[in-house]
Amino acid sequence: MLQHFKDFYHWLDVQHRRIPAIPWNLGVTALFLCAAYWASSILIGHTGGENNSALVFVLAVALISLLTSGYAYGIAASIIGTLCINIYFMEPYAAFSLSRTGYPVAMLSMVAISCVICALTARVKRQATEAVRREKNTKALYEQNEKLNAEKAAIQLESERAAIRENILRAVSHDLRTPLTSISGTVAVLLETPEVSPKNLSMLNDIKQDADSLIVMVENLLSVTRVQDGTLPLKKREEMLEEVAGDALLTTRRRFPDCRVALDLSEDILYLPMDPLLVKQVIVNLLENAIRHSGDREHITIRLYRQDDWAIVEVRDQGRGLSAEVCQAVRAGQPMPLSLSGDSTRGMGIGLSVCQNIIKAHGGFFTAENHPEGGAVFRFGLPTA
Amino acid sequence: MSEKQTILIIEDERTISNFISRALSANDYRAIPAYTGREGLSLFFSHGPDLVLLDLGLPDMDGLEILSQLRGLPREVPVIIISARDRESEKVRALDMGADDYVVKPFGVSELLARIRSTLRRAERLKLSQGIQRSVYQIKDLTIDLSRHQVMLDGEEIHFTQNEFKIIELLAIHAGKVLTYDFILEHIWGPYSGSGSNQILRVNMANIRRKLKENPSDPKYIHTELGIGYRMLDD
Repeated sequence: MLQHFKDFYHWLDVQHRRIPAIPWNLGVTALFLCAAYWASSILIGHTGGENNSALVFVLAVALISLLTSGYAYGIAASIIGTLCINIYFMEPYAAFSLSRTGYPVAMLSMVAISCVICALTARVKRQATEAVRREKNTKALYEQNEKLNAEKAAIQLESERAAIRENILRAVSHDLRTPLTSISGTVAVLLETPEVSPKNLSMLNDIKQDADSLIVMVENLLSVTRVQDGTLPLKKREEMLEEVAGDALLTTRRRFPDCRVALDLSEDILYLPMDPLLVKQVIVNLLENAIRHSGDREHITIRLYRQDDWAIVEVRDQGRGLSAEVCQAVRAGQPMPLSLSGDSTRGMGIGLSVCQNIIKAHGGFFTAENHPEGGAVFRFGLPTA
Repeated sequence: MSEKQTILIIEDERTISNFISRALSANDYRAIPAYTGREGLSLFFSHGPDLVLLDLGLPDMDGLEILSQLRGLPREVPVIIISARDRESEKVRALDMGADDYVVKPFGVSELLARIRSTLRRAERLKLSQGIQRSVYQIKDLTIDLSRHQVMLDGEEIHFTQNEFKIIELLAIHAGKVLTYDFILEHIWGPYSGSGSNQILRVNMANIRRKLKENPSDPKYIHTELGIGYRMLDD
């Protein structure tokens, strides 16, 4: 029953919203007054002089004030209703008269009762709309809360995932580096032992070289996993580019003591945000690439300079230059051609791919070309801001 | 020196510990391996080594905890940290807590031996000088005269700003030791100056390098420890 009434009220409310306020209010007022008039006419036919029309009109006024906005319509309806009763449902019929005893009192009290009803219904309506508004707010808050909770959960999950990945990477790198360090170190100790025969010495040298290049390879693979899936943020900080390049060169010189590399500094101080270990690795890779694959170990140069908003590092050799395949792959930002994974060029493909990925993650550019005077030039730029 | 110098190796990876021991004995040091932190501390007290090699990633104790215990002792024994490549903040903390030097895994034998030699030499020098500060430092063809505020390179005077000179002075007094960015900043620009950026120090350093015609790929006087600090070479 209550549900039906609610539905009906809701329906009315919807209709109410569809029709502009003034026509709706006037319509409702007229409709209920007519209905009251009609009902009263029927009633008067049955009961004669003893009529209940006042009650019928009060009911109409109550409904009007419930369904219209503001007090005005209810009050107007109560005045019209009182007049109506006086004229049509009171003796003398069809004429206005205040001649009967006590009649003005009845009329005034009806107007007063109607007004009170108006005021009460208006208050009820206000409270109802307030309640609806509050309910809406609560609902919105609840929904927002739900959404925030979901977001929080997603962020937590993501950060947990990143932490797990970080831990795995750290564990893997530890588990790979430790044995490689001890292999390389143990061989280094053996190499300096006097009782090793020359034949064994060369074998030990091979082991040492392989262990060392495996160390480099592991570093590369770890960096590329770190950078490639994009979920681990770069550990960026402001760094002096010449110090990073110098450190890269020292590392390279330790591995290839007989090579000659010159570092050509710019007068500008290049101090910019980067992940220094990764950028160092790019330079180490480019130097190693030049040393191992260009056929030139004597005239390798690194040049640092500023061009517009870029800090540029250029690694140049005077060797045999790059194949068209490599230039093409670098230009297209594609992985290095498979032919570079052959034995003679072992590691070159991976090394260059790592460089490309690291520079891309920094928002920089990476190019490879042949110098007009011979040799290869690798160049990368990092944004200075 | 007739007696062999003793080096305590606190390192849980046996293979690494083994080759370090072998390399040390081959170079006339006495090596004592310890595989846990507790063992390391007890061997330290029973053997009184001349130098400690300390791995920061031990199974039973935090390496920094061991370092702080060693630093709480009246006898200052030099400590060289062995640490992983990607744990810079740990290295910096260890250095700030008084470690003398560090090597990064994977490291080479020759590199480790060079660090050990230089650290032992420095400790020896400190013992001899008994805290009396020198006023003239000579590194290759570079002469730093602290009392006269003068830096001579190859007999020619080089002019530095006041802060640049203070940096050189600080590095020279601690020659051979890595000084962290924060350490230098605090000594020259006062406490809390290192909390934000260390750009001011880095730029000063770049200028010093240019005045000394120093190439970072072939440092003769000042070595850059990437992401950690600077070290003046002492030989």
